[in-house]
Amino acid sequence: MLYSYILQFVPDRAEAGVLLVDIFSQLTPQLQKAFDSCLSIYCWLQVEARKIILEYMVKSNGQSDLAVRHSLNGGHNKAYYFSLLEECSPEHQWVFRELFIHGRKKEELAAQSGKDLAHISGILRECLLIIRKNLE
Amino acid sequence: MNIELYIQSGIVESYALGLATPLEIAEFEQLLPHFPELKEALADFEYHLELFAIDNEEPPPAGTRERIEARIRELPAMAGATRGGERKYRRGKSAGEYLPIEVSSPYIRVHRKWRTFFIAVFILSKIFLGFAIYYFLEYRHAQKHVRQLEQQLGKKEAAGAAGEVDSRAGRRE
Repeated sequence: MLYSYILQFVPDRAEAGVLLVDIFSQLTPQLQKAFDSCLSIYCWLQVEARKIILEYMVKSNGQSDLAVRHSLNGGHNKAYYFSLLEECSPEHQWVFRELFIHGRKKEELAAQSGKDLAHISGILRECLLIIRKNLE
Repeated sequence: MNIELYIQSGIVESYALGLATPLEIAEFEQLLPHFPELKEALADFEYHLELFAIDNEEPPPAGTRERIEARIRELPAMAGATRGGERKYRRGKSAGEYLPIEVSSPYIRVHRKWRTFFIAVFILSKIFLGFAIYYFLEYRHAQKHVRQLEQQLGKKEAAGAAGEVDSRAGRRE
């Protein structure tokens, strides 16, 4: 299950496989934290895995070259959570991709797009509610 | 605090996907024990995320599981926990112990589709209980009626017998 989740960040299957091994080896000693968390085990795994993946992406190629490459060619647009946002506007997809896949901050997106922070927060909120709706 | 508005702000999704800021996380975790609606919304979203993950599952490259197991065995914490005792590792490749894991949550999770079934069972049980009480009362009432009839019959028989004795005595005289 986690492998498909990783693929949305790192589309190269071999590289995602290596990351999966890294993630499990890093998270296994922290398993108690999962039980202490308010999240379910799987969601905790996803959240922690994302942190490791984002770190890996930054380390491996400065500012997550992989993700940038795939965001440019639209590689993410139909993958995993993005399949739930297919009907959204490109702006919504861009905001969600930058925040979720690239781990960027809302402030950065606001500065880059020339919009205010509330606008970016509003778009993220809409994306999250669309995800919830499409999951149900 | 209007908890519905708070839920509609997308905080649950943000928290579950790891997009919440440390401040939002702290606030959410502080509110969570006090609002069952929040717990329910989180559990519901988590459940759907897990279903989505199952539906979109892709198998990892061959040998990944073995590599993960090997890496975990190399970890210092795991190496210390491994004693090579009587218990054999599931795949028989190495001997070790299972990690003790405590689950503190007092809740069990049941799929939503069972809700209709449980409601139907509950309603049926109430109907049967109603019937049981009704027929029990009917039975008691009938028993009482039978006893009354028996008593009346006994009285009539006694009166009939007394009348017969009187008539015989009259005839003798």
